Amino acid sequence: MTMNADITLLTATVTANSEIAPGFFRMTLAAAPEFASPAPGQFVMVRDADARDPLLARPLSIHGFSRKRAEVVVTLLYRIVGRGTSKLARMRMGDALQLLGPLGRPFAIDTERKTHVLVAGGIGVAPLAFLARHLRQRMQPGEGTIVSYCGASRADALVGLEHLEEASSRTAICTDDGSRGTRGPVTDRLAADLDGYDPQDTALYACGPFPMVERLGEILYTRSFSCQVALEERMACGVGACLGCTVAVTEDGGGRRYVRVCREGPVFDLPTVLRRRKDERRGGETGGAIR
Amino acid sequence: MMPGMCVEIGGLRLKNPVMTASGTFGYGEEYSPFVDLNLLGAVVVKGLSLHPRPGNPPPRIIETAGGMLNSIGLENIGVEAFVVEKLPFLRRFETAVIANIFGETEEEYRAVAERLTGVGGVHALEVNISCPNVKKGGLAFGAEPAAAAAVTRIVKEATDLPVIVKLTPNVTDITTVAARVEEAGADALSLINTLAGMSVDIERRTPHLACVTGGLSGPAVKPVALRMVWQVTKAVKIPVIGVGGITEARDALEFLITGARAVQVGTANFFNPRATVEIAAGIEEYLVQYGIADVNEIIGTLREEAEK
Repeated sequence: MTMNADITLLTATVTANSEIAPGFFRMTLAAAPEFASPAPGQFVMVRDADARDPLLARPLSIHGFSRKRAEVVVTLLYRIVGRGTSKLARMRMGDALQLLGPLGRPFAIDTERKTHVLVAGGIGVAPLAFLARHLRQRMQPGEGTIVSYCGASRADALVGLEHLEEASSRTAICTDDGSRGTRGPVTDRLAADLDGYDPQDTALYACGPFPMVERLGEILYTRSFSCQVALEERMACGVGACLGCTVAVTEDGGGRRYVRVCREGPVFDLPTVLRRRKDERRGGETGGAIR
Repeated sequence: MMPGMCVEIGGLRLKNPVMTASGTFGYGEEYSPFVDLNLLGAVVVKGLSLHPRPGNPPPRIIETAGGMLNSIGLENIGVEAFVVEKLPFLRRFETAVIANIFGETEEEYRAVAERLTGVGGVHALEVNISCPNVKKGGLAFGAEPAAAAAVTRIVKEATDLPVIVKLTPNVTDITTVAARVEEAGADALSLINTLAGMSVDIERRTPHLACVTGGLSGPAVKPVALRMVWQVTKAVKIPVIGVGGITEARDALEFLITGARAVQVGTANFFNPRATVEIAAGIEEYLVQYGIADVNEIIGTLREEAEK
């Protein structure tokens, strides 16, 4: 793991912060151009620059990014799940936000593969929307295909879809209660389509609640599909110093070691993070890097 | 004329009284994008054991009011990997490097101390005695004056580097432990380590930490740390390094005035990666503001007599 000297700590300005669905917010920030251009899958640590409560910054995956000459614009998509995200939701245009990033290991993109399948559960759509736009920009017209699968509990919990739909040749929508799209988990829909994809020529990228990630593991286990997953975990420092955000990975010898979601992740190859001991509890359950 | 900021701890001269607290600054590299390590008095690295340790299962951290709990479990790469992989980076800087060490047995403390002595690039050892003594059913070495003194003696015999012993606050009377550790030959003391605490998830009805209890740190612990520094500086003659909830220069100054020769900054690094250098600069500004020529002139100048 090389030292990332392109991480900056600066104060950004909130330019917008709106509730786009019950409990879901989209925030845009303006920051100085020193902020390095992030890669999809990376995240930032954010906190209200003028408050000391809550104490710690929160990790949020980067949902959008654009660079102008005098400033950069960072877009975050998040859900209220606790004190930190509640505080962020109350921030207003003009407020100062402490911004640290970009952080973490991004999605690896293999442009040799023709089909890119994105699987988003709930707020997990946040980093995948950034990935979808990034993939589309890098591919020549007609060169590759992006297919997106989006799942949420209800229709009004489907957020951030527009970016996925724009970049994808096909977007499959699933809701647990059937209020929109197919009724049932998004992984069932993917499982039904799986025979139509060539494992040698398809790359999968996923982000969502851990039960969704585990189900993906079950579906893909007997096939040779390559899949990357963006995890989340409670964090304190975000830069790899405190060792608070670790997840277990099982070594091939059967031993156990921990890796940091903030440095060795948040993006991991799916098999790596699934080989965990069943008796371990996890900290996060919502998709994306949010707490 | 800028005020003097140098302090001396156990024969080691530090360019200023601000150090990093072990476990909050990794091995230095992680914070180097934000902090010029040359501006710090010392870097105290993550605690090292003889063999690598994986640490505790997650979840390992939870925020609390004014602080956080951690049960990292002393995860570290082991002393060998530190010397080979991490020390070369730290040697590039002109800042003292203090290696925090621990063991599950007295023999392990001795072995780690020996390995770090004479290796070049390590300027002092900080001995963590808050870890469980496996030979005494898991009771922390630091909880018992005799055990704390024994570990101190063992490390002093194993090294010619200055030995700082880091005390746990989870005891009935920290001054007894402090006095015994001084008697056993410690060159300095650092206090406090974290306070034992707990937090519960009321939706799932489970503890927030996989290991149930953890160590509390951050602004919430500062009054306890300050009180203990006050008590210990009266009980010993060796220098005391104050740790616990220091977030800004004002906090550091409270400790120096109370009697600490130097301070360590820990949890503050997480929410302000530049905390250490800002605190050092703030101490200097205070000295300039009050026309004080040297930081040593304010150490231990707390006026306790109430004006009648």
